[in-house]
Amino acid sequence: MTAHRLASGGLVDRGASLDFKFDGRAMKGFAGDTLASALLANDQLLVGRSFKYHRPRGIVTAGPSEPNALVTIGRGASSDPNTKATVAELYSGLDARSQNRFPSLKYDIGAVNGLLSPFLGAGFYYKTFMWPAAFWEKVYEPIIRKAAGLGRAVLERDSESYEKCWAHCDLLVIGAGPTGLMAALVAGRAGLRVILADEDFRPGGSLLAETMSINGVSAQALTETSLAELRSLPNVTIMPRTTIFGWYDDNVFGAVERVQKHVAMPQAKIPVERLWRIAAKRALLASGAEERPLVFGGNDKPGVMMAGAMRTYANRFGVGAGKSVAIFTNGGAGYRAAADLAAHGMEIAVIIDSRSDAADVAPDGVRVIPSASVINTKGRQRISGVVVERSGFEETIACDAIGMSGGWNPIIHLACQRGAKAVWSPELQTFLAPDVGSGLIVAGAAAGHYTLAGCLKDGTDKAAAIAADLGFSAVAEAQPVVDGEIAPSFTALWYSPGAKAKAFVDFQNDVHVKDIGLALREGFGHVEHAKRYTTNGMATDQGKLSGINATGLLAGMQGISPASVGTTTFRPFYTPVTFGALAGTSRDEHAAPVRKSPLYGWAQKNGAVFVDSGLWYRPAWFARDGEKTWRESTDREVLSVRQNVGLCDVSTLGKIEIFGPDAAEFLNRLYCNPFLKLPVGKARYGLMLREDGMVYDDGTTSRLSPEHFFMTTTTALAGGVMSHMEYCAQVHWPDLKVRFCSSTDQWAQMAIAGPKARLVMQALVEDDISDAAFPLLAAGVVTLKGGLNARLFRISFSGELAYELAVPAGAGEAVADAIMQEGRAHGICAYGLEALNVLRIEKGHVTHAEFDGRVTPDDAGFGRMVSALKPDFIGKRLSTRFGLTAADRMQMVGLKPVEPDKHIRAGAHLLREGAKPSTLNDQGYVSSACFSPTLGHDIALAFLKSGRERYGERIVVWDKLAGAEAVAEVCTPVFVDPGNAKLNA
Amino acid sequence: MTTTYISRHPLEDRLPLEPGIRAVDHLEVPRGKAIATVMAMDGEEAAVAAGLAASGDVSVRFVAPGEWLAISQSDTPEVLHRNLSLLLAEAAYIFDQSDGRVVFRLSGPNVRRILAKGVGIDLHASAFEIGTSSNVLCGHISVNLARSGENEFELIVMRSFAESLFDDLRAMGREFDLSADFAAEG
Repeated sequence: MTAHRLASGGLVDRGASLDFKFDGRAMKGFAGDTLASALLANDQLLVGRSFKYHRPRGIVTAGPSEPNALVTIGRGASSDPNTKATVAELYSGLDARSQNRFPSLKYDIGAVNGLLSPFLGAGFYYKTFMWPAAFWEKVYEPIIRKAAGLGRAVLERDSESYEKCWAHCDLLVIGAGPTGLMAALVAGRAGLRVILADEDFRPGGSLLAETMSINGVSAQALTETSLAELRSLPNVTIMPRTTIFGWYDDNVFGAVERVQKHVAMPQAKIPVERLWRIAAKRALLASGAEERPLVFGGNDKPGVMMAGAMRTYANRFGVGAGKSVAIFTNGGAGYRAAADLAAHGMEIAVIIDSRSDAADVAPDGVRVIPSASVINTKGRQRISGVVVERSGFEETIACDAIGMSGGWNPIIHLACQRGAKAVWSPELQTFLAPDVGSGLIVAGAAAGHYTLAGCLKDGTDKAAAIAADLGFSAVAEAQPVVDGEIAPSFTALWYSPGAKAKAFVDFQNDVHVKDIGLALREGFGHVEHAKRYTTNGMATDQGKLSGINATGLLAGMQGISPASVGTTTFRPFYTPVTFGALAGTSRDEHAAPVRKSPLYGWAQKNGAVFVDSGLWYRPAWFARDGEKTWRESTDREVLSVRQNVGLCDVSTLGKIEIFGPDAAEFLNRLYCNPFLKLPVGKARYGLMLREDGMVYDDGTTSRLSPEHFFMTTTTALAGGVMSHMEYCAQVHWPDLKVRFCSSTDQWAQMAIAGPKARLVMQALVEDDISDAAFPLLAAGVVTLKGGLNARLFRISFSGELAYELAVPAGAGEAVADAIMQEGRAHGICAYGLEALNVLRIEKGHVTHAEFDGRVTPDDAGFGRMVSALKPDFIGKRLSTRFGLTAADRMQMVGLKPVEPDKHIRAGAHLLREGAKPSTLNDQGYVSSACFSPTLGHDIALAFLKSGRERYGERIVVWDKLAGAEAVAEVCTPVFVDPGNAKLNA
Repeated sequence: MTTTYISRHPLEDRLPLEPGIRAVDHLEVPRGKAIATVMAMDGEEAAVAAGLAASGDVSVRFVAPGEWLAISQSDTPEVLHRNLSLLLAEAAYIFDQSDGRVVFRLSGPNVRRILAKGVGIDLHASAFEIGTSSNVLCGHISVNLARSGENEFELIVMRSFAESLFDDLRAMGREFDLSADFAAEG
C-alpha cells in the first residue's frame, strides 16, 4: 500500500462514508472527498493512460489544472467524459471509469505506442500529410483517431436539463481563498453588491489546506467565520461550484455553476448545470497561483505529484499520497510540504534541492541533498525509488511517492483573455498580468503575493480601493498576524539536467523535452508554433501546468529570456464547459420561439398541415378525408378558389400603421412608385428598392385617412422593413413628421378569394361592397353584422375577385368560422400556402422567390411603375447604372412545357436548344414552378436573358439536380385571366 | 348573418395550469386589459409624457423616445382609445393594441431569480424601481418589462409569441414551482 487515508485530520466527514465505483471496483470515501482524494485513500494510483503513448498516469494535482486524472462519470446518456477526478465531488453511488485504455487500465495494448515513440515525436501528425494522401486517409488517420484521444462523447440524447442566467453586481470576486474572502468581506461590509464565486464545492481555497494560524485562530476557523459573516450580508452572494471561465466585453463574465453534478439522482426541476453571464461593475481576480511542475526524467509515473497537492491531500482530505515521500524542490514550498507531511506521520525519504545554498529548514532528521538533480524514477505503475545525481554521482533512494515543487505560476488567464499579453517578472521568475484597466484587478497570489499575510492584505486593500472608486466608504481593517509563514521564494529550474528517461513537460499531451527541442530545430520555435507542432498546452488543460515550463525551455534552449519568448494566447474557456450548459434551454422545440397566427386554432380544426415559415407555423394545405398527397389537397383548393371561393390566413404579413402629416411623403420616398396622391379609401401595390436599385420588398399600402396609412409587407421581411423605416425616419429624413408602429399582431387578416367571394362577404358586412361601391383596390373600415369594426381591402394575390379582411386578432377565429359557415353553401374551402403559391404563379404574381436581391423592377416587369417624376426615392440613383438597364438582363417570363407531361422545377437553368451546359451558355433560371390544376400541366416563372422579346421561343430547362431536361415554350408570365376580367368582376 | 364574435385569448387552452393551486411565485394573465400605443407628434414628447402621467387609471410603459404603451385595467379598448384621444388630441397618435399584446404578471419572492433566466438587465430593487419599464429580450422573445410592485413585474409581449413566452416562463419558474392562471379580475 502506498497512498492511504490518514488516521486523523482533514475536513472530510469521517462519519459519512460514501460508496462509489472506479472501473467497476467498489470503493469507499467520505463526504468532503473529491474523487481523486477518495481514489488515493483506496491506494488507486493508476487513474488513466496518456494521450499518445498510453503511459500509465496518476493524479498530479488537487485542482482544476489536473492533466492526467480524467475520467468518465456516469452511465449511458448522462455520461460525462473528461471529468477531472481532482474537482469531482464524491457522492454516494458515483460511478467512474478510466479512459483511453483497452482492454483495461492496467493492461493497455495501446502502450505499444510507447515503443514506437521515436516515430511519434513532435510534428508527427503533420508529417503524415507529406506522404501519399491515400496512405494518410487509409492508414494514419484511422489509427491515430483510435489510439490517441481522451474520453468519448456519448451519442445518446442528453437527458439532463441546463439553463442560462444573468447576474449583476458591483464587485465580482473570483476565488474564495484568503485574498477573495478578505476582499468580499471588505466590499460586503461597505455595502457593495458582491458576488463571490469559487470553483470548489467548499469555499476557502488554499485556507482549507493551510496549517498556519491567523490572529491566533486556524485558517479553517477563519474561513468559517468569514463565510458566516458573508452569508449574513444580504448584499453578498456566494456561488460555490462556479467556475468563471471567460472575461468578455463590457465587463461581462461567463461562469458555469455545477448545480447538481455532485448528486446521484438530480432533481428534475433544477438544472444540472447553469451558465451565468455576470455583468460586474468591477471584478477582482483572486485565483491564486499554480505550483509549477519540475521537468525531470521519469516525472510522469503514478506517484509523482505536486508537493502542494500532497499537502492538500494530507491537510484537507486526510489522505497520505505515500508512505515514504521524496521531495524535489527549487524553493521554500517543498520544505513546507515536507514539514506538513511529516507532521501527519508520513516519512520524508529525502529532500532534493536544485539550489546550492537554500536557507529553508527541513523537518528534523530529514536528509537534504542540495545542488542535486533527479534524473530518473524507479517503478512502472507505482514509484519504488528516485535516482538523484549530484556532482556526477548517481544515487537511488527508495521512496513510494515523489512530490515536486518548481515555484509558482500566478493564474492570470482571465486577465489575459481580452488581448493583454502576460508580462515576465525577472524578480518573481514568472509571468504576471499587465494592468488591464479598472474593470478587472488582479490580487493576492495571482498578482505574485505568495505569503498568506500578503494575500490577506492585498485582498483587503484592493477591495477597499474598488469600494472607494465606486463611491462606497470602506472601513480600514487591522492587519492580520500570521504565524509560521515561510519564505515562498524559489529559483526557476526549467529542466533538471541529465535525464535518463523521458522528461515530460505536458503530461496530458505526452510532450517531453526532446519534442520541444525538435520543434525549435525544425523551425517551430515561436511559442505559438511550438504549441501546435508539439501539442504542448493543447486539449482540455490548455497548458495550465505545462505552458510556462515550455516557455522556459524554449528560452533556455535559445539562451534568451523567457520575456522574449512570451506565452501562448489565453482564451476562454478557462476550463472546458459542456455543450449542454452553452445551449441552456435552447434545444428541441425551445431552440427558437414559435409564432402562432390568431387563426392557428381555426386552421387546426379545418385540418391544416402546418409548415415552418420563419418562426410562424402556417397552414400548407388542408387535408380532407381520402386525400393521400399534398398535391391532391392543393389541386382541390386551387380549383375551388378559381370556381367558387376560398379562405386563406394572411395574418403573418407584416403590418405597419403610419401616421403624420408627412406620412404620404415618407411613403413616397420609401417606395419606387408614387404614393403622394393615393386617395383616402384606396390601396396601392408598392415596390421598395434597396439603395442599390434592387427590389427589397413589396406589399400593399392603403390610405385610411389623410394622415393615416396602413402598410403590409411580406411575412419574411416584416421585421426588416420596420427597421428600414426606423432608419429612414431617424437618419435619412428626421425632418419628416411621421410616426409608425407595428400592428402585425393586432389584426387577424384573411384573404377571401374566388368568383363567389362577394356573395359570402356581403352576407357578413353591413356596408355596401358591390363593385360600384367597393371597386378593385378599395380600402376602408367596415362594420360586420353584429357590430364588429373591421378593415376591408379589395386586393387580390390569386387573380380572382378577392378581399382581405382584418379584424382584431382575438375575434379572428370567430370571424373565420362565420365566413366558413356562410360560404358553405357556395362551396368555400380553406386554402393553404401551397395553393396560395399555385394561384399566384398562375396569375404571374411575384414573391421573394423572384425578388431574391438580384432583380430590378424592370426585370420583374414593373419597369413602368418606377416613377421618373419623383425627385427622389430609395434606389433611384443607382437604378440608372449601366448594368441595371442593360438590354440583355434576365427578364421575368412564363414557361410551359412543350410536352404537357414534362415537369419543370424551381432552380433549373435555361439553355438554348443544343447548347452545352456551361456558365457561359446560361440563359437564365426558373424562380417558381408548379403544377397548374387550372391548365392541367406544369407552369413556371423564370428569368431569361431579354426574355420579354422571346415569347414563343423554345428553351431547354436543364435540371441537373433532378437529372431531368424538358423543352419549354417561353410565354407571358400571366397564365390565367390576362385581361383581369375575374379581378374586376 | 348577424353574429356576436367571441374574442379568444391566445392562452385560452393553456390556463389554468393546475386549477386552484397558487404557489408563492405566481404567473397571472389578465384577460381583458386595454392596451394602446401612444406616439407623440413632433415636439410634443414632453407634453404627452406629462399628460399620460396625469391620466390616473392608465399605467404607462416606456417603449421608445416619444412612444409608450398605455394600459388600462378597467376600460374597454374603445374607451381607452377615446379617452386617450381626448386627452392627447393634437399631441399624439393613438393605436389600439389590445388584441395585439398579451400581458403576463409575475410575482413572488423569487421573481427576480426567475426573470434572471431570461432577462439580461439588472432588476435589483435599487437599479429598476417600481414604475420603470424597458424593452428587453426574455430569452429569444422581445418583451416590454415593467416593475409593477415590490416583487411584481409585468411583461407585455406580441400576441403571436404569447404561447412561446408562456412556455419559457414556466420553464424559468419550474425551480420555484411557479403556478399560473388567468387573473381573477377578468
